[in-house]
This record gives sequence, C-alpha cells and structure tokens, in this order.
Amino acid sequence: MKRAARLFRRRMLSSIPVLILVVVGTFLLIDNASGDAADAYLLAIGGGDAGYAEALRQDYGLDRPVWVRLGFYAWNLVHLDLGRSVTLNRPILDVILERLPVTLWLMGSAVALSFVLGSLLGIVAGARPGSGTDKALSVGSLALYSVPSFWLGLVLSVVFAVQLRWFPVSGIETIASGKTGLSRVGDVARHLVLPVASLAILYLALFLRLMRAGMAEVWRQDFVLAARARGVPRGRIVLRHVARNALLPLVTMLGLQAAGMLGGSVVIESVFGIPGFGRLAAEAVSGRDAPLLMGIILTSAVLVILVNLAVDMTYAALDPRVGASDAA
Amino acid sequence: MSVAARFARSPEGVAGLLLLALLASGALLAPLLFPGDPLSIVGRPLLAPFQQAGLPLGTDRLGRDVMAELFHGARASLIVGVSAAAVAILAGALVGTVAGFGGGMIDEALMRVVDAFQIVPGFLLALAFVSTIGPSLGVVVVAIALGAWTGPARLARAEVLSIRERDFVASARVLGMHPLEIALKEVLPLAMPPVLALTSVIVAGAVLTEAALSFLGLGDPNIVTWGTMIAEGRNVLRTAAWLSIVPGLGLVALVLGVYLFGEGLVEALSRREGQG
Amino acid sequence: MFDRITRRTLLGNAAVLLGTTALPRMAFAAGAGGRLTVAADSEPRNLNPAMVASNGVFFIASKIVEPLAEAAYDGLTPLLATAWEGSEDGRTVTFKLREGVTWHDGKPFTSADVAFSAMEVWKPLQNLGRIVFANLEAVDTPDAATAVFRFSKPTPIQLIRNALPVVTSVLPKHLYVGTDIKDNPLNVAPVGTGPFRFADYKPGEYYRLTKNDTYWAKGAPHVDEIVFRVLPDRASAANSLEAGEIQLAAFSMVPLVELDRVGKIAGLEVITKGYEALTYQLIVEINHRREHMANLKVRQAIAHAIDKTLVVDTIFLGYAAEATGPVPANAPEFYTPDVTTYDFSVDKANALLDEAGYPKGADGTRFALDLLPAPYFEETKQFGDYLRQALAKVGIDARIVSHDSAGHQKAVYTDHDFDLAIAPTVFRGDPAISTTVLVRSGIADGVPFSNQGGYVNPETDALIDKAAVTLDTDARIALYHQFQQIVTADLPLINVADWSFTSVASTDLKPIANNPRWAVSNWSDLEIDG
Repeated sequence: MKRAARLFRRRMLSSIPVLILVVVGTFLLIDNASGDAADAYLLAIGGGDAGYAEALRQDYGLDRPVWVRLGFYAWNLVHLDLGRSVTLNRPILDVILERLPVTLWLMGSAVALSFVLGSLLGIVAGARPGSGTDKALSVGSLALYSVPSFWLGLVLSVVFAVQLRWFPVSGIETIASGKTGLSRVGDVARHLVLPVASLAILYLALFLRLMRAGMAEVWRQDFVLAARARGVPRGRIVLRHVARNALLPLVTMLGLQAAGMLGGSVVIESVFGIPGFGRLAAEAVSGRDAPLLMGIILTSAVLVILVNLAVDMTYAALDPRVGASDAA
Repeated sequence: MSVAARFARSPEGVAGLLLLALLASGALLAPLLFPGDPLSIVGRPLLAPFQQAGLPLGTDRLGRDVMAELFHGARASLIVGVSAAAVAILAGALVGTVAGFGGGMIDEALMRVVDAFQIVPGFLLALAFVSTIGPSLGVVVVAIALGAWTGPARLARAEVLSIRERDFVASARVLGMHPLEIALKEVLPLAMPPVLALTSVIVAGAVLTEAALSFLGLGDPNIVTWGTMIAEGRNVLRTAAWLSIVPGLGLVALVLGVYLFGEGLVEALSRREGQG
Repeated sequence: MFDRITRRTLLGNAAVLLGTTALPRMAFAAGAGGRLTVAADSEPRNLNPAMVASNGVFFIASKIVEPLAEAAYDGLTPLLATAWEGSEDGRTVTFKLREGVTWHDGKPFTSADVAFSAMEVWKPLQNLGRIVFANLEAVDTPDAATAVFRFSKPTPIQLIRNALPVVTSVLPKHLYVGTDIKDNPLNVAPVGTGPFRFADYKPGEYYRLTKNDTYWAKGAPHVDEIVFRVLPDRASAANSLEAGEIQLAAFSMVPLVELDRVGKIAGLEVITKGYEALTYQLIVEINHRREHMANLKVRQAIAHAIDKTLVVDTIFLGYAAEATGPVPANAPEFYTPDVTTYDFSVDKANALLDEAGYPKGADGTRFALDLLPAPYFEETKQFGDYLRQALAKVGIDARIVSHDSAGHQKAVYTDHDFDLAIAPTVFRGDPAISTTVLVRSGIADGVPFSNQGGYVNPETDALIDKAAVTLDTDARIALYHQFQQIVTADLPLINVADWSFTSVASTDLKPIANNPRWAVSNWSDLEIDG
C-alpha cells in the first residue's frame, strides 16, 4: 500500500510538466489557426457588418495579445477554473461534466465487452496453438481489426436501425421522454448497442490477439511444461496456468490504448449522433473555441494519466516485481 | 534459410504480400488505366454497377466513375499511409536516439514531450491540426504522424540506452567524434531494426486515421480518397449502398494486407534470431 | 405485431450483454394536440432573434419571440403590429400595435417594448438591423399601442416592409432593461409573446417548447409541444424520419439525392414550397485584385464555361433554378429577366480567354488559380468540384483550397487570399438588405457575404446609394432593375443558381408551407392529425 501511494505521488508530480506542455501546445495550435471564434460565429449567423465583428472580438477577449490570454488562462487553471466556453457561453467544467459520462459509458461498455469476449476467444485460440480453430480465429480477428470503425458503424446502423428497426438510429436516449430509473437505463442501453458494438468488435480483435500471443508465449515456459509432464489435465493447464499468466499484458494494453480509444470515439459519436466528448471536441475546433478545446484535451490527458495509474497500480498489486525499482 | 524463404512458408504473410502487391499495382497503374482527373463527371449520376460498359462500378452522386475513384483512392491511401509512417518513424527514431544518447536534461525534456503527445488522444490532435490548418496531403500526413511518432521514439530510446554502453561508442568518443555525430551515424542505424518492426502497425493505423479524417470531411479536396468516398456515399447509403461499401472493402483489404504482411515478416525475422 | 415481440426479445438479450435491462420503448406517441419532433441541424448559442437575425435562430426562436409582421404569399401577415404607414417625406413610420397581448410571464406587451427593442437591440446589436435601422433616430410612443419610428434620412417604406419579418423580433423591455443585453440569460431561454414558450434545452440533444395557453390568437396554437432534436448529421435525418423518430426535417436536412426515395414512403411527403422568402443564391465570388480576374473578358469566359443546366440538374437534382442575375426570379417585385446572359459555351470561353491575352501553354493550361468553396453546404462544395473541371476544360487550372468555416471566413473575407470563391448568399426580400453589399465598394474587411473582392465601380455605388433613399416604390424598383443589368454586364460576381430548401414532413402535419418563410414562422396554426 505504501508503494502504491509512492507510485501515485510520483506519477502526479511528473505529470505536471507534461500537462503544462499540453496546455501551451494546444493553445498555440488553435491560436495560430486561420480564423477565430468571431469569424466562426459570424458565418454561423449569416453575416453582420464590421462593427459587429469588432464587438464580438471584444466580447470574446480576442482583441488582447496571445500571451495575455494564455497567462489569464493559466492563472485560472491554477485555481482549478477551466474558464468559460466562447461558443457556448457556459462554464467549461459544466459542459465537460455533461458530455463526459456519455463517452465514458460508450467506451467503458465497449472495452468491458471486448475485454471479456476477446480474452475468452483468445483462450479458445491459444488453448491449442496452430490448430484450425486458432488459425481461423487469429486471421478472422485480424480481418475484424482491419475494418474502419466508422464504416462498420454505418453498415450496422443501416442494417439494424434503419432496415430492421431493432435499435434507434441515433442519439443517446429517447429525447424528453421523462423516463427515470431503470426504464431510463434501459433506454440508454438500447441506444448504446450499435455504437458499442462498432467499437467493441475492433477491440475484441485486439484483446483476442494479445491473449493468444501471450498464451503461446506461456505454453513454452518451464512451469507449463512441468505441469504437462505431471499429467495435469489440459483444460486445467489452459485456465489455471496459461490464461492466467497471459492476462497481464492485456491489462497493460488497456493503459496504452486509453488515449487511442478516447480519440476513436470521435468518429463513432459522429456516426451515431451521440452528444459525447468527441463531438464536443469537433465542435470546439470548428467554433475556434480555444478554452473549450483546451479543457477537453486537458481532461482527456488527465483521464489517460489516471487510467495508466490505475493500470500500474493493479499491475503492481498483481505482480510484486513491478514498482519496486520503477524507473519511468 | 533466408528470411525470404522463411517468409514464403508463412501462408498469412504470403497472402498479405499478394493483397498488397495487388493494391499497390492498382495504385501504380491508376494513372494509366484511368488517365485524367478521377473527379471528372463522366456520366449520369448514381448509375448502378454493371449497367454500362466502361463504368463497371457505376457512378457516384455527381456522375464520377467509381472504378477510377477506387484506383486513384488506393494511391492516396498508400501514399498517406506510407509517408505518415515514414515521418513518424524517422522523427520518433531521431528524438529517441537524441534523448537516449544525450541523457540527463535532454532526455528528461524530450521524454516529457513524448509523454505529452502520448496522453493526448492522437485522433483529437489530428482533427484539431487539420481543421485549423486546412486539409492538404502534406498537412494530413503530418497530422497523422503527430499521433504516431511516440511509439518509435520510446523504442529507439530504449535501444539506444543499451547500445550506448558498448565499446565502439566509447572508442568513437575517444576519437573525438561529436556526440551528435556518434548518435546519428553510429547508434541510430543499430537502433533502427526493432523500430522498423513497428512499420506495419503504424502504416495500418495511418491508413485508417486518414480514412477517418476524410470521412469527417478533412481530406484533401483535390484528390480522391476512400474515406471521402465513404463519407459522400453515406448520404446515399439507402439508395446506393455500393458507394460506401466498395471503398470500405478496399480499406479492409489494404489494412489487412499490411497486417498480414507485417506479421509474416516479423515471424520470419524472429525465427532467424531465435535460431541464430 | 409478431415481429415486434421478436425484436423485444432480441433487444433484451443484447441489453443483458451490457449488464443492464432494456425495457421496450413505445415508438412515437402523438396524441391529439401532441408533440411535434423536428430535426435541427445546429445548436444556435444565442436564441435571441432580436440580436441574431439568422435562419438557424429563427427556426427555433420564431415560435417564441414574434416580429411585428410575418411574410405571406400576398404581402404581410400582421403579428405584433396591426398596421403600418410611412410618411410622405420618408422620415417616419407609424406602427399600430396589437392590443391585449401578454408576454409569457404575464406582463402586458406595449409600445415601450417595441421602442426598447428598436433602439437598444435592433439598431446597435443586430447583425441585419444595424444595416436596416442605421438611420433610425428615435422611436416615439405617444400611447401604449403606437410606435413612431423617426429616421434621420428618408427611408423607403418598401424596405422597412420587406424587412419586418426578419429584423423586428420584439423583446420584453421589463426583463432586459438595465441588464447587459448581450449577456442576459434570456438570450438562451427566450421569453416572448409567441404561441410557444421555451421549456428546456439539453445541449447536444434537444430544445423543447411548450404551448402558450394565453396566446393572443384565440384557439392557437394546436400543438402541445415542439421538440427540436439536434441531428447535426444529414444522413441521420432521413433515417430518423423513416424510423418515425421525427416528423419534420426542414432546411433540406434530408439530402437531395434521398428525396426521391423518401417521398415514396407512405406517411412522408417532400415539400418544396415555404422557402420563397429565403432564397439562397449560389454565386462565384471574384477577387478583382488579382490581375486575371480584373479582366472583364476572363470573367465573361468563366461565366460561359459554367453549364448552369448541369449544375441545376446534377448538383441540385432539379431542386433549383438557373440564375440570371443578382436578384432571384422568385422575388418578382424586383426581378428583371432583361439582363446580359451567358450561355454555356466552351468555345466562347476559350475565344474570350485568347482575346484577353492568356493563350494556352504547351500543357493546355492558360493560368492557375485558387478556388475556395464555402464549406457549409454540400452543394457549394460539389459546385467547387464541378467548377474546377469546367475551368480545366477552358485551360484554367483551379486548385481547390479547403478550409473549415472559420478558416474560410478569414481567408476570403478578411485576408482576401483567393481568386475565386463560392458562396451561398441569401436574398432577404429586398436587395438593400443583403444583396447590394455584395457589390458596393468601401466595405470594411472581415464582413462575410459582402464585397470583399475589391470590386470598385462608381456607377453601381451611386445607383445603390440612390436606391437606398428613393421613396417612390416604382422608381426604386427601376433603379434595382438597372442594378441587375450592370451587375450582369460587368460581372463583379457570377450568379449561377438560385435554390430554396426542401422539407420532408409526416403527412399528419397540416397546414404546411403556407407562407414564404414557413420554416422560420411561428407555426401557431400547425396541427398533427391522427
């Protein structure tokens, strides 16, 4: 436990310079963009005269130099204030807290589903390396892994939402339905089926392959050979020895893929019209809403750091060798 | 046994090679088979496949030849995939080598930059980068590379850390070579092979990222890409599903080919190491 | 019914995988009165139509906040004003206001509200009001039901009349006075006099309006609730209509190419009426600062190189009309067909370019240019693709430069970094509102949908200024006819096509498209059958 606390503290401290880099980088990227928030807004409302544009820029504080704005932003950030969104005219923290759960649900369900199914199938494939089942599963999973998620989403939505009407076409819940409690949960789940499936199929392939590769590795190790020599039943070896040891790399992969998964939700949210984090990011970019985009990128960065920390701590708990001489 | 012979014995690798060869020759032959601008209007809009000789895959929403778009699209996907991977691997290897070889503050600073890039979702970064700068082929390549160079950087650094302690590096120092020269001329080439093993994964990722960017309308408007084709086909998914299905299958084939080929190659190489 | 049960069973199974329980959801419950669910493709960040006169805002806010009058197929329908009259000298306009109208909070509506809105909001803060009311000096309120607008310069009553539906949404003075109008929370939760009250807004999901039981028109409105469902993606609008999740998709949210198929589905109909006062114009903006473009022959050649018929048939699938000039044919009050026209002829275009002194080089190219299609309509981008090819046929190598909205605004309207651009401008009922600015010189940089091409022609400038203060309606119209003739002859810009939007609606909705701004009118008479 003490080790975990030390790991936690060290990680948090080393994250600070990284986060500063992220903030400054994002700020400069959007500040150097062609066109600003006033331009984006003027076009959205169909135009206005020059004085109107000027007034907008003053409202948005865009008439001040970039370093002043960055300093101002940083000062607020130190006070844990993410500022106000230029385009939505609301506190950014509120906006993020509103949109984040949707994406977390989406990602969480997809990851949980694919983790379970993927590792199960991986065990099936890895139980007899080189067998027909193994070949079929690993080539099949590679094929699935090659499918662009947005394309899969489109195909699923046309078949299951539009043609068969089993699931809603888009959105996260039936709008203004007044549902509460379980019926609301059920409603949200129905809306999540297709987007989760589109993402999960992709990750499933990833976990399957990792599990299978890990198992192939473990099969060759001495303790497994010894167990086989002792005449332990094969099924028992597969589950007790091989699969269990092959599970660790999957946990590591969760941490490594966390950032990628967050990014991947942008396209799926667009395909299924889900008002999540990814869509918010796309809106922030097109509206040139620098504070909002920074809030989003900062939040996802912190999330990724936290996921990795959780992964490391789990790992440290599972494997006593880790963490004792942590160099990174 | 040579690497090639071992590779030839892996059915997956050979299948991948064949797929890639097919797609690459299609891409190379595109300007010959379908000269002129693949974006030009050649017929009635939304002509179904196999209806008219000369337009075997029919036409899209604006009456453009889908077959020509498909071939030229393969070109775009391959060019973007390969160049983004090249940029990512080169930049990553360079940064990793300098960090690993330089050590100390340089290492610390560069690795924090790597961390920063690693914790920002790569696709978000690419999206922000392309939409603020404006989409063109070069910008898309750089945007994709931005999210892909950290893997090679970490790997190269780890390699360099083990290489730099070897004797020849010490002797190069004694000879008075500039550290940067040692790093780039002596150490980098040795650190490259394991980094290059990442190529297939990065190329495949780059192809998919490019398609997703184009799908969101952030592709170069002057060329055809499969992602753009899917995005345009999306509006007519019900009336003309083939417009999104065909390029989607193209993407699957390309990415699958890259993975299979990469897997076969890594296998062939690792067996040699195992035996040697 | 049988297959529905199967569906539910399957659903249950799928939901178990997610570790939750799914309960079957009734498809869509529309009773008498009922809820109307409408697709909205954007989420305006400011819902105050008195400040932001744009169709995106009106689409939602026009049901809540009303203007003095609404457009009708035969003139105007009085709303908050019952009568209006301009003085002989054009310096005053007197409005008689409707009596017995109350705001959604129960306070009475009076002339003070109109005076406040005009002087504090429309004139200083509204994107279009700043133009129309530029010369407004004061609004007198001799009694609670009369508002007298006083102008410093003669102002044609025709212009005011044409602008009424767009620029005169009235705000409640008692809720705005003494506040920072721009930051008033009511800007996102408006209070008005309209047939519907603002209920709630869930960002990224929906806006909900409920029936105003104390609406001034007795017996209206008929619908209990309107929900604007945010569907930023055009492909999903058609799917949602088909799945019965929404009953109306206005503003061409269903892609043109889907209309044929969707129109055949029982229970849905495609409507092309109801947008006559919101005509969009597909124009080619020209940067006259560039040497090639300053040459009239080059501009004429480009006009000849464009096959307008193909544009209308292929890009707009027939849901548009070929444009002849800067005023669309469906604005009959101002339109004249008696203008210079440019038939599609590659030969003429080539000849003109040769004459202009730009011969084809060895590679068949005369010169290269940058083409910037506006990114916010599918059709402007598709026309960009087409124009690139059309120009290639006459030896002009056009490179498409693509930006997102903000980048396009900066590149074209502020930095003038373009040769040709493609814009969707809007004709708003009177050329003085948003049409003459496309040609008038002396407009500050950064103003979108205005003459940012550096075109300077003292003759048109004088004409525009004269028409702005010409009180006699016939004389004013004659001036605008002349304006159309000069523009088509000298080509400061090229008008390619005029298009209106389409709606796809459930056949249960009645009446639909009964005025030329139907989608952005207040829908007090709309009913849901069945």
